[in-house]
Amino acid sequence: MSKAAVSVREALLEPGARDLRRARTDWIMRRVVEGAAFLAVLPLFALVIFVTLRALPWLSPEFFFNNPLDSEPGVLNAIIGSLQMSALALLITGPIGVAGGVYLSEFASARVASIGEIVIDILLGIPSIVAGLFAFLLLVPILGFSGWAGSLALGVLTLPIVMRTTQEVMRLVPPSIREASLALGIPVWRTTLLVTLRTAAPGVLTGLVLAASRALGETAPLIMTAKGTNASNFLDFGTTMNAMPLVIFRYAEAADDRTIGQAWATALVLMAIALAMNVIVRWRTVDSRVA
Amino acid sequence: MLGVSRKKATRAQSEAADPSESPEAQLKPSATVGGAISLANVEAFYGTFRAVNNVSLEVQPRAVTALIGPSGCGKSTLLRTINRMHETLPGANVKGSITLDGIDLYDSAVDAVRVRRVIGMVFQKPNPFPTMSIYENVAAGLRLLGRTPKSELDGVVEASLRRAALWDEVKEKLKQPGTSLSGGQQQRLCIARAVAVQPRVLLMDEPCSALDPVATLKIEDLIRELAAEYTIVIVTHNMQQASRVSDSTAFFSMDENRAGYLVETGATAAIFTSPKESLTESYVAGRFG
Amino acid sequence: MGTLDVHQPRSGSADPLFRRLLGAAAAGGGLLLLVITGRLIASTLPLWAIQSPLSFISTTAWITGIEQADGTTLEVYGAAAALFGTAATSLIAVLFAAPIGILGAIYLVEFAPKRIAIPLTFLVELIAAIPSVVFGLWALGDLSLRIRDSIEWWIASTVGRFIPWLAEDPGSPAADSIFRAGFVLAIMILPMIVAVSREFLRSVPISLREGYIGMGATKWEAIRDVVVPTARVGLIGAVLLALGRAIGETVAVTMVIGNAEGIPTSLFLPGNSVAAKIASNIGEAGTEVQIAALVALGLALFMLSFVISLIVRLSLRRFTTIKAIS
Repeated sequence: MSKAAVSVREALLEPGARDLRRARTDWIMRRVVEGAAFLAVLPLFALVIFVTLRALPWLSPEFFFNNPLDSEPGVLNAIIGSLQMSALALLITGPIGVAGGVYLSEFASARVASIGEIVIDILLGIPSIVAGLFAFLLLVPILGFSGWAGSLALGVLTLPIVMRTTQEVMRLVPPSIREASLALGIPVWRTTLLVTLRTAAPGVLTGLVLAASRALGETAPLIMTAKGTNASNFLDFGTTMNAMPLVIFRYAEAADDRTIGQAWATALVLMAIALAMNVIVRWRTVDSRVA
Repeated sequence: MLGVSRKKATRAQSEAADPSESPEAQLKPSATVGGAISLANVEAFYGTFRAVNNVSLEVQPRAVTALIGPSGCGKSTLLRTINRMHETLPGANVKGSITLDGIDLYDSAVDAVRVRRVIGMVFQKPNPFPTMSIYENVAAGLRLLGRTPKSELDGVVEASLRRAALWDEVKEKLKQPGTSLSGGQQQRLCIARAVAVQPRVLLMDEPCSALDPVATLKIEDLIRELAAEYTIVIVTHNMQQASRVSDSTAFFSMDENRAGYLVETGATAAIFTSPKESLTESYVAGRFG
Repeated sequence: MGTLDVHQPRSGSADPLFRRLLGAAAAGGGLLLLVITGRLIASTLPLWAIQSPLSFISTTAWITGIEQADGTTLEVYGAAAALFGTAATSLIAVLFAAPIGILGAIYLVEFAPKRIAIPLTFLVELIAAIPSVVFGLWALGDLSLRIRDSIEWWIASTVGRFIPWLAEDPGSPAADSIFRAGFVLAIMILPMIVAVSREFLRSVPISLREGYIGMGATKWEAIRDVVVPTARVGLIGAVLLALGRAIGETVAVTMVIGNAEGIPTSLFLPGNSVAAKIASNIGEAGTEVQIAALVALGLALFMLSFVISLIVRLSLRRFTTIKAIS
């Protein structure tokens, strides 16, 4: 029992070798985890800085406002195409997703709700290439290689996102709010829409923005649906449509400097939009989520 | 030089501990040990907010000192300054002096980790480690201190569980998770693991408030037994408990800045039957708090 | 019971209609899943007419149709090479991302002061917002070469001398490699590991940490012996979730892996992944069988990620999972 039976004086003032080792290990591990956190955040800065540096020389009015077939080629049709297809995808899946999410949160029985959760989990987990394959198999024969097919392929990916965020945000609304409204005689449907949903609206909006950001950045579903094109086709969903991710993907391995440069410039634009959307939406939730 | 020879003397003494003694006897702290705590002008802060104001208190060794008073008076905060747990919270700090057997616990040469080995703590809600068995819970502190041969470890675990009046109830199921016990048993498990590292002092922060009356009484009996060898400081809301269990009592209240301060301290019997301050008298009569 | 089931509908007769409309929307999600699964399976049928699923999984060759001398067409579809690539890149990704992600999460939860933890957490999770094609471009234009010239070179010249599958020809290192694709993937899944690990580490009650520290443990010892073991199931779930994400990742991997045939002899050589193969070949796939083969690849990928998310869901059933959507 000699190990533990020491005097107070010795315990406090005369540390043994083991105690010093333990203190040192503690110090080392603190530095290790600090290093890990640094490594975790490093890629963000490296990526942003590098893309910006490579892209800057190629940003010009022509880049933004010309089309690939113009004498001074630009990527306008890709920017517009991305915005168009994402908007359409969200226009279709947004309402359905919100409605479905509201149902799962407010009206579904426990069993239906858990089935719904599993279904949404699976949908969320669909690899984007598989979503593209599905659109290729089912939609392209009907709609051709078109902006329609592309938008719907994106919709496969955005629907579960909107549904899941809506459901979760609605669930967080305290029951007392619903009950207060119902106690006033307001019918269920009005309560849900004007009271509960309105309370949850910021979160639902967040879900929509996150889904939009995802839709803008996806490449794989578009490769085999909208396919990308050099022609400018504003609002013409019936034919092949260009998109920013497609431009990046296609131009990346080009031979000439300008094409590669435009790939970087497009990447900068896409990255800036995605980051801006995410920063704006996540900014408000930042404080509440940290320990 | 005196320090060296004292160290040698202590070591010789502990090495002379007879291995053929019963497990409980082996756990007994050396006879030269004190365990007297002295607080002088202690103030405790959370950032800029002062939670404890100018407390000076003497804690007698081998006795139970109760800290009583209405909630929010900084009793728990004060308790945690003694084993330097208060400073683990971000922005928290301590002023004043706290000594154990004359040694300043906040001296820069003293590592807080080592203070906590000498001063153990039992918390309000029993907190056995869920991923460890009963045996491992008790052995946890000792394992941190070094490689102990299994036989020795077994001995200490048994002795600690006996000391906590838990051995008979768990000796058949040492491998089961610590959380499989009832609330009162869990708290005794926490006491067992605290005494396993042979502290001089045991701090108890409302140890029975989460327990049923039967378990509470068992633990109160345990505390009286433990007082024979440890210095015990217990924070409690339950005045009856304080009068049952403690030898001295310190009564706290809150000043107009919401800082806790020491109103009166003295022998328990005196505090409860003939307190000097009228505030104390009101509190023990149940007129507030 | 749904939150509102206790309350009877009021006189507003719109209520039943309302519920039905919403229910239809929710059912739409389920319908979508059924249609997707059905269509995928149906489209693979032409392949099973000429080849067995077992052979599909085990063959490495992928021959879309070569005219033989005797007039027959040789058509063999083997997913093994692509499956290997997907497995290898994902495992490499997890190998690098899991330790760094978990240790980083430990820092954010246990050590970082609030004024550092809040922005740092925010920044780490922001990486997940960057489209994968941008990662692919960065990898192609810069990162890939950096990895090759530093880490790959280091491993190849030390351990690679003895272990053939880590070897690299110093004179002509490959332009793309499985290892590099895995490394880029690691960067992409890191935020997810950090985010989910954080949640599970935070869920460990403070009282447990205090109990251990109160006994004279250092902060690191409390993390090592109490916090991590208590959160262990969640941490494993975090890694599995990230693995599932890595498996499905298409574009960045496609751009860096090299689209080579067969299983390479070294990790530092180009290979292929399931997603990359589908993306590369779908343009030229003409016949039903060729398309069916690619769909079969996609189906395999889908099933793989489904199985992983099922495992995660089952093992984390006791916890309230707050899943990162990205």
